[in-house]
Amino acid sequence: MNRVTQTYLRFPIARRIEHWVMMLSFTTLGLTGIPQKFSASNISISVINALGGIEVLRTIHHTAAIVMMLGSVWHLLVMGYSTFVLRDKMSMLPTFQDAKDGTQALLYNIGFVKTYPQMGRYTFEEKMEYWAFVWGTAVMSITGFLMWNPITSTKYLPGEFVPAAKAAHGGEAVLAVLAIIIWHMYGVHIKRFNKAMFTGKQTEAEMLHEHPLELADIKAGIADRRPDATTIRKRQMIYYPVAAILTVAMLGGIYGFINSEQTALTTITPLTETQIFDPQTPQP
Amino acid sequence: MRQRIQTRPPQIWTVVLLLGLGLLIFALAFFASPAQAAHSYQEDQPSNDFCLACHQEEGIDKKLGSESLPVTINPTQFGFSVHAEEGINCVDCHTDISDYPHPDVKVKNTRDFTLTFLETCKDCHEEQYSKAHDSVHQIAFDAGNKNAAVCMDCHNPHTQKRLTGKTSGELTSSARVEIPETCAQCHSGIYDQYKTSVHGNALTEENNTDVPTCIDCHGVHNIQDPTTVTFRNSTPFLCATCHTDATIMDKYGISTNVLNSYVADFHGTTVKLFEEQFPGQPTNKPVCTDCHGVHNIAKVNNEQTGVALKENLLIKCQRCHPDATANFSAAWMSHYEPSPEHYPIVYYVNLFYKFFIPAVLGGMIFFIITDIYRRIVNRMKGAKHA
Repeated sequence: MNRVTQTYLRFPIARRIEHWVMMLSFTTLGLTGIPQKFSASNISISVINALGGIEVLRTIHHTAAIVMMLGSVWHLLVMGYSTFVLRDKMSMLPTFQDAKDGTQALLYNIGFVKTYPQMGRYTFEEKMEYWAFVWGTAVMSITGFLMWNPITSTKYLPGEFVPAAKAAHGGEAVLAVLAIIIWHMYGVHIKRFNKAMFTGKQTEAEMLHEHPLELADIKAGIADRRPDATTIRKRQMIYYPVAAILTVAMLGGIYGFINSEQTALTTITPLTETQIFDPQTPQP
Repeated sequence: MRQRIQTRPPQIWTVVLLLGLGLLIFALAFFASPAQAAHSYQEDQPSNDFCLACHQEEGIDKKLGSESLPVTINPTQFGFSVHAEEGINCVDCHTDISDYPHPDVKVKNTRDFTLTFLETCKDCHEEQYSKAHDSVHQIAFDAGNKNAAVCMDCHNPHTQKRLTGKTSGELTSSARVEIPETCAQCHSGIYDQYKTSVHGNALTEENNTDVPTCIDCHGVHNIQDPTTVTFRNSTPFLCATCHTDATIMDKYGISTNVLNSYVADFHGTTVKLFEEQFPGQPTNKPVCTDCHGVHNIAKVNNEQTGVALKENLLIKCQRCHPDATANFSAAWMSHYEPSPEHYPIVYYVNLFYKFFIPAVLGGMIFFIITDIYRRIVNRMKGAKHA
């Protein structure tokens, strides 16, 4: 085995599916959302028309939003399991070291330091993107809720929050889409085509290159030390009921998101006009 | 009517009188040499004077079944008409009459008598005639509604004055002012609403011709059915023809941004996109008239119905959003551009993203450029990237 043939599992199949679900819903949301923000542009109009008109577009957008919310719920449950039951290292949490790594990488790039930082399971670039995604999803969900349910929202909030939500939703959308195009594309597709989300694996050379500290942990056998079966079972007994309650609560939240109000009547009654033919005097 | 005449400045009457006199002389010049008259079809047709000799008698009528048709023609009124002005002879339209006694009238009521002249106007007014044939009136008429307006209902041929400037060809101001009264003959309920509206009030009380009369929205001659979805969907663009025109709006301090602000909002975006793709498909999103009214459009600060007042606006919201509560109406930005004064949260959210987006993306791009630079440098040095 050499450094090219020796591979390490980076993302098991469940995580890859999760990524694909998020990727597809994100892309759909972007494709159906950006034309709504820039609805005056001809490109937007072509996209909207191609997808069957604005109402169809909004339905697709809402459906993709539901998929992404379900994906987020799933992610939270998986993270809960990983953290509580397996007690995995919370390797995605941002640390002070990430700031130092980022600075060092930048200084290295411009030639002020001689070495590139050595990083663990997630590099500062990946953490940045992950937390940007978390932030974005939170902003989009909250502002999306305000627009989806303006009547419910304005029972508790000033009316101005609705157009403000629209402004934030649009601004955040532009930021998210461009950030993905710029940061994600460059980071995992252009700089080097990273196949980990397709095959799930990375070669030893790639690991050495991008995640040397994780590789060292793996080699030292301390990367994913699992608790024994009894401990796992004991924790599962606690986690599963809690997770079930959380799941019901979160799914209930999504249900509320979708169904908390019927915003508008689908057909509006024509304005009541006076009699159309109403002669002033008997006709001559 | 009498009251209105008295309120008019006396100079107008002098002008009208002089003009009328001039026209009378003009007309007489034609009568003097009937052979040269443009619209004379017959060499030896009776002159208007010949007809008027009998028909100027007041109170004469013709029995048609159980109804009686007044046949008095007031020579003065006729003299002021555009037809007299142009030297049109009675018999140019009443082609079946050449002498007395007149041929028998077969129809049994006055309406049917009017309708026997349906094709008459076409001889001289082909364009207007064919346009009117594409109108909602014609559709109603064809469907069997004999009351549907035909040419003569709006333009009494015996009294119709000139409507357009002789050289300009444009509708004259005085003609504009009278339009709603013409339509009111059949649409009096709508006229009563219009009179009280901000538009109608300005027209009828102040003779202000900046405001729309019936024809500005409905067209003239080829008047379309205003109850169709297509008409509704196009409403914002109809209103915008005047409301985005600064030459009119500036006089009254009205914003010309109303269409832009409408289209920028959720409702307007939808309607605009709908109008472009499915002009004939109904949408439940409001157009101008849903909040502002149709014929009864009031000033936005009108205490009873003005939509600048929150409680009035909420009533409009509730037509489509029956569950809406007090705060809801502020979700619509009332045609305001967000600013620190109006809708400050929206303004500051926009401002935040205006700087946040370029800052984040700029940072990313800067880092990527340094990364690319390092890779190129390393490759040139033959070294491998970290």
